[in-house]
Amino acid sequence: MKPWHAASWARLLRGTPARSWRPAAGALTRRAVLRGVARGSAVALALPPLQAMFNTSGTAYACDGVLPVRFGLWFWGNGNLPDRWTPSATGSGEEWALSDQLAPLLPHKAKLCVPTGLACKLPNTSPHGSGLAGILTAVPRIEAGDSSKLGGPTIDQVIANSVGGDTIYRSIQTAASNTAGESWNGPDSRNPAETDPYAIYARLFGDTFVEPGEDGIVDPRLGLRRSALDAVMDDIHALSARVGAEDRARLDQHLTGVRELELRLARLEEDPPDLESCERPDAPTGDFGDVDGRAQVRRRNQVMSELLAMSFACDQTRVAAHFVTNPVSDVLFEGATSGHHDLTHNEGGDQPEVHAITVHLMECLADTIGILDAIPEGDGTLLDHMVLFATSEVSLGQVHSIEEMPIVLAGSACGFLRQDHHYRSLSGENATRLLITLQQAVGMSVSSFGEGDASASSGLSDLEA
Amino acid sequence: MSPCRLSLLLPILTLVACEPEPAHAPSTETRSAAPDHTPPAARIKRLTEPQYRNIIRDVFSEDVRLPANLEADERVEGLYAVGAATSAISSYGVEKYEGAAYDIAEQVLDTDHLRAAWVSCDGSDPTNDACAAEAIDGLGLHLWRRPLTGAELSTLTDVALHAAETLDDFDDGLAYGIAALLMSPNFLYRVELGDGSEAPPNGYDDWEMASRLSFFLWNTTPDADLLDAAGQGLLTDTDTLAEVVDGMLADERTRSGVAALFTEMLHLDELDSLTKDPTVFTYMSDELGPSARTETLTVIDRHVFDDDAPYPGLFTTRRTWVDRTLAALYDVPAPTPDGFGEIELPADGGRRGILGHASFLALQAHASSTSVTRRGIFVREVLLCTVIPEPPANANTAIPEVAEDARTMRERIAVHLEDPTCAGCHQITDPLGLGFENFDGLGRWRTTENDAMIDPSGDLDGEWFADAWEAGAVVARHRNLGACLTETFLQYATGNRSEDLDGALVDWHTEGFAAADHRVHWLLRDVALSPTFRGLTEAE
Repeated sequence: MKPWHAASWARLLRGTPARSWRPAAGALTRRAVLRGVARGSAVALALPPLQAMFNTSGTAYACDGVLPVRFGLWFWGNGNLPDRWTPSATGSGEEWALSDQLAPLLPHKAKLCVPTGLACKLPNTSPHGSGLAGILTAVPRIEAGDSSKLGGPTIDQVIANSVGGDTIYRSIQTAASNTAGESWNGPDSRNPAETDPYAIYARLFGDTFVEPGEDGIVDPRLGLRRSALDAVMDDIHALSARVGAEDRARLDQHLTGVRELELRLARLEEDPPDLESCERPDAPTGDFGDVDGRAQVRRRNQVMSELLAMSFACDQTRVAAHFVTNPVSDVLFEGATSGHHDLTHNEGGDQPEVHAITVHLMECLADTIGILDAIPEGDGTLLDHMVLFATSEVSLGQVHSIEEMPIVLAGSACGFLRQDHHYRSLSGENATRLLITLQQAVGMSVSSFGEGDASASSGLSDLEA
Repeated sequence: MSPCRLSLLLPILTLVACEPEPAHAPSTETRSAAPDHTPPAARIKRLTEPQYRNIIRDVFSEDVRLPANLEADERVEGLYAVGAATSAISSYGVEKYEGAAYDIAEQVLDTDHLRAAWVSCDGSDPTNDACAAEAIDGLGLHLWRRPLTGAELSTLTDVALHAAETLDDFDDGLAYGIAALLMSPNFLYRVELGDGSEAPPNGYDDWEMASRLSFFLWNTTPDADLLDAAGQGLLTDTDTLAEVVDGMLADERTRSGVAALFTEMLHLDELDSLTKDPTVFTYMSDELGPSARTETLTVIDRHVFDDDAPYPGLFTTRRTWVDRTLAALYDVPAPTPDGFGEIELPADGGRRGILGHASFLALQAHASSTSVTRRGIFVREVLLCTVIPEPPANANTAIPEVAEDARTMRERIAVHLEDPTCAGCHQITDPLGLGFENFDGLGRWRTTENDAMIDPSGDLDGEWFADAWEAGAVVARHRNLGACLTETFLQYATGNRSEDLDGALVDWHTEGFAAADHRVHWLLRDVALSPTFRGLTEAE
């Protein structure tokens, strides 16, 4: 596989097609509303929501429920080895220590919350499918012909539907290997992950990106694009009236996309939020293709994490779903003698290769956490104002176990979650309860969640600070 | 009744020899009428990425640089065609469509010869509404695959003129009108609804038939002639429809349409992302996957179009087309220093038919080893349409490691076939997959594994075979082979889920296909004229 031909980079680096609608330098009628005004001293002006959340010295109000809390899903495929994953002691601070498999997270231990022993309660009928449904949707799978599919939206979309409405992007999906990911609006409606660092850079930080302190884009062409989209929406409405219920739902999803695009074009005209750490990052460089058949997962995870972190810091989005690998991924990792999924089933003994891969994935997770924690924001870092939910669709891959689900939470979500803590569920509590806690952590008032065997009616208060 | 039909109709494990009969067209007098049936409810189908690209190429020109990435297609029941009728576009996908629309519109208007095909004025007058309307009307017919209504034309012309006046430039404004055409659901979805409701379609109209035929047979948009035929009402009349279909089948574009069909069916697109450990497979290279696809598609193309030969022959033919990469892998002399050349595989070489191709052997294998189960599943599900249940989630599926008394895969996986929780499914897949163990995970011939002789014998529904050479013949005469291709063609043509197809109608097509010696070209025609493809309850 080599999806990274030089020619296609060049194509991508020419920028999104939106580029041509960005006026040439000096050609636009610039507003100078904020010009010369010191950053952060202009609170009295009409400002985008987030800017109003900072005080006059540019630091965030200490998480008092005003600052938006961001949510990140960090997913990898094929699970872990639970015996080498679970820390031996529970508690906080010095009471607990990281396990073999969690060891790479040591630099970030103070900002981790690790719940173990949680279980998906859906019947385990679909290898890799039941656990995926359990840990990301808490909705039973839908039987479809000879197979089955996810029956509800994934947690990133549940949260985006609540907190994603005020940003340019409701949510962002990325991947560090060649996968479409598992972010779903509902059945048959996937949000495919961008796998190309160049494409995601062009999307987030290309020519329509405006740095803090600059003015919004003033260009009649933004309005003209919206007029064209109005005509498209009329066509969608007219077509919707002629089709059956299933097609109408598909067209509704399409309409949602058009509306979001219209809204985004309108927001480009606004001045960007004045965020202290927001700046256009450097463009990715180099080749991210496989080397001798081996995917450069760690490098791709790093570059994607950097771009996602900056999109959070610039408040372009508050929800991201990042798929390092997908369920059943057969990625050939560095040093492995076979693909990951194959090894989880067929490696013998204590599965040293599977262990090494899990440790490698936790090194990748440590990279991501470190990137998020390196961005100053208010009195702390970006990581303090979010929760990163790292998980997989199974625990012990060899038998597709959905007990002992592998979960790492990083960041306190503005002080909502306990930090430097290992919580152990001795009774195999429903993993859906964690999904409730995550929604609460980002400010949603949710007390029950899930359907059928997966439903739960309380969060895990033990995880709360 | 031919032996083929007998074996297809009797649900018994029988070894009916089924040698192809001499080619002849089935007589319309002896074929029974299609059974009455209720066609499935119509579904709109989003253009697949290849269709989008083909349309832009065919409506405008190969000179238009195509968008770098559109939203990926979803496979449902193994086919993108079914996914196109069931999956929804994401918000990011909508964003990509917008980017592509302006990119294409700009290129067309910036390139003199492309612009001249659609725009008759010089663009000096930003208020030239007649010129804008003419361009949008002309393009609309080709991009929406039907004439625009007066209201649609007026809306889009207004979009263009308003933009032209705002920007004080005719062409800059027209770009918005063209982009709106390209962002409309009337372009992005194949709107083939018949009466347009939850009810059966009650017959697709002429424009809808033009679209259905064109995407089924050519995988692209109707050309000017086909649109003309639709305008004249030729596609809803049974006799003239047959003439049009025969004309389309004779067109070279049907070759690329059939290539698209088999690419979907056989997962040949996945050869672009073939992952192999090059330290295990020294013949692995970046070229191997694409070369393997070319080989298989070339064999199918020659078999179907040049030879009009029976479908089962694809599994036993010794003819193939290889380049240097494949010749090295297959250990045969390269027929030509550059590109692909025809060869006849040696009669004693063990390799023949498309199941001897790297496109199957490498794709249906692991990164560093073979996969008996994956190869078996592929033949079962894709070629024979066998339903294989998902494995029990809690089963330990580990294959025992290589040991002194278990050096070959056959010895190691014996547990699958003995353990009752595994045997149910693995008995369906593994005895078949074991037949290909003489080919490693890339498709290179081998006779030993870990210094032990490989036993490549196996069986398929009670029919024993000695090796892959014979396995090809056993697959070729399997009673489900023709029925499965028929069902796949019907799904590909209609986008319907398997369960939505009418069983009696599928059987009727299957029987016709058998009586026509399983000639693929015949089946294409039969499906194109099928009452279910036309949305009709009764055959006319």
